[in-house]
Amino acid sequence: MNDIIIKAENVNKTIVNKNGGEVVSTTILPDISLDFRRGEFSAITGPSGSGKTTLLYLIGALDMPTNGRIFLEEKEISAMKEEELAELRNEKFGFVFQFHFLLPEFTALENVMMPMLARGRTTVKRAREKAAELLKQVGMEDKQNNKPNQLSGGQQQRIAVARALANDPIVLLADEPTGNLDSKNSENIYSLFEKLNRENNQTIIVVTHDEHFALRTHRKIHIIDGKIDQDIRTKEPGSSIQS
Amino acid sequence: MKNKKHLFLIAFRQLSQRKRQSILSLAGISVGVMVLITAISLMNGLVESFVQKIINIAPHVLVSGEKMLPLVPDQLIKPGKNSEVNFIKNVYRSDEEVIKNYKKIMDLIEQDSLVEMATPLVGLNTIGKFGTTTLPVQLFGIIPSSQDKIEKFKKSMISGNYDQLERTPDGILLGTSAAQDFSAKVGDRIQIVANNGNIFSLRVIGIFSTGINDIDGNVYVNLKLAQNIGGYPPNEVTDIYIRVNNLKKDYLVADNIKNLTNYKAITWEEKASSVLALFKMISMIVYFLVFFVVLVAGFGVANVLITNVLEKTRDIAILKSIGFKKSEITVIYIFQGLIVAIIGAAIGCLLGYGMIEILSSIKIASSSSSAVRADRLLMGKNLWYFTFSFGFAVLVSLIASIIPARNAAKVNPVEILRGEK
Repeated sequence: MNDIIIKAENVNKTIVNKNGGEVVSTTILPDISLDFRRGEFSAITGPSGSGKTTLLYLIGALDMPTNGRIFLEEKEISAMKEEELAELRNEKFGFVFQFHFLLPEFTALENVMMPMLARGRTTVKRAREKAAELLKQVGMEDKQNNKPNQLSGGQQQRIAVARALANDPIVLLADEPTGNLDSKNSENIYSLFEKLNRENNQTIIVVTHDEHFALRTHRKIHIIDGKIDQDIRTKEPGSSIQS
Repeated sequence: MKNKKHLFLIAFRQLSQRKRQSILSLAGISVGVMVLITAISLMNGLVESFVQKIINIAPHVLVSGEKMLPLVPDQLIKPGKNSEVNFIKNVYRSDEEVIKNYKKIMDLIEQDSLVEMATPLVGLNTIGKFGTTTLPVQLFGIIPSSQDKIEKFKKSMISGNYDQLERTPDGILLGTSAAQDFSAKVGDRIQIVANNGNIFSLRVIGIFSTGINDIDGNVYVNLKLAQNIGGYPPNEVTDIYIRVNNLKKDYLVADNIKNLTNYKAITWEEKASSVLALFKMISMIVYFLVFFVVLVAGFGVANVLITNVLEKTRDIAILKSIGFKKSEITVIYIFQGLIVAIIGAAIGCLLGYGMIEILSSIKIASSSSSAVRADRLLMGKNLWYFTFSFGFAVLVSLIASIIPARNAAKVNPVEILRGEK
């Protein structure tokens, strides 16, 4: 149970902004190294601007490091090309964002089907069945045919989670998934994540402000100014979580 | 990327979400296509009906009495820097422009298998007098039976009897414009004054209208009478009209005649070249203007796409985060452009068809100054007007979609997903 699936080695992220003739470069992550184990439920915390979201996007192949290397299951993703990264995001990662970000023109079911259809590996019929199953898993089976604007924020976020799970990702990445929700809906999302981790041994990495949420995970990584300030494993992966 | 259905679906849903804007740009394309089809139809209708009339009622090749100039040294050698050429200018006999021994020449011409028939004419500039009206008039002497095979007078008669001309040595046939100018009708006697002052009193046996103003201003008599009026001996005529059996080879006939007889022979295209060139120029201007109409419609498509891309950056970021490739994002927006273009152009084709029907049913007063007389707009109808206009609009829209679509692909998901910016 202790095999490493994500490994970051001396990752540096510097953003260069050209402001007129002036070149301003900002280092967000100076030099960070860490790894994640399969089945681990981790939380990355830290103040705003500490680079925790940037780290999550680097891990999830949404962004590329300026220096350093990132491996997913021993494959170096930081060396891949744009097209390969797109496939990787589709097959290996599932994302949940702070703003629920569903496609407004599509129903809940269609939104969940979208990652499955993107690569054309499955038939529409099978995608539909799988999506319905996932919606059931997140407790949204009765909202299949609703458009996002007919749903509450909490409901939208659960659908976003279902979508993130569409292609059975190796890692579920969440960026402030409860940042925009009230406490009741936040609680629902925590429980959902816990359930996914416990029942499916789903690897989850969550970026959050929410200490309460962070405490319920296996591992809490606190980042300040792009450096790891604290990295505490509170529980072993696979162990049950008390609430 | 085998299956693009879902990309098409995304494109379509996004468009239908912005109904008003999509329909407006669609309408732009429709109007552009309609105007394009109407303009092509108008221009081609005019040119085609003109050409058709000419082919039907004018000679395909015209042989005139003008001798071809033999090539002589002053035309062959250009004085250069270091050469000195002395020459004496050739002296020509300035003959009257007549075809001598026309029967022999016609025999020669008719040996050409491309020639369907030939008929001799005498063309004269005379003065016509009727009542108080005195006007210069182009008079032609013809052999009525064979002339009819070219100029189809019999079909164009509006009063009188064409066959009577052959039996009436002093008969005269008037074009409708000439008849109007003189206010003459069948049975009247018109005086024709020859160059040498002789006056011939001729009886109007018929009036015709071909629809081509050039021909309808002329008057026609028997060949013998015209030779008499012009003072030509019986073996001389001024022109020979030829009909060929293959229009595409008329220039071969003309060349052959030039070589054989040394008389000038021109094809109908050469004769009508100034009118055809004018038509061509007008067409160019019209197409140029219409091109801009479609171009503006293309801007409409670009506009819809640009706003769609701007408003959909969130969705684009999401699509990228769930693994859509740049190329697939591009395809989504190209699809949007194509959907607008194809629906718009299809509607435009229907509108264009309706426009042609409406315009060709409107009666208009004909102007006598135009080349072809007609009581309504002469609209062409051809499938290629539609396929061309459709294809052109789709092409313009496709080009208009490329830049917004590529901008869409360039959206950086990280910036948008971080938070609402």
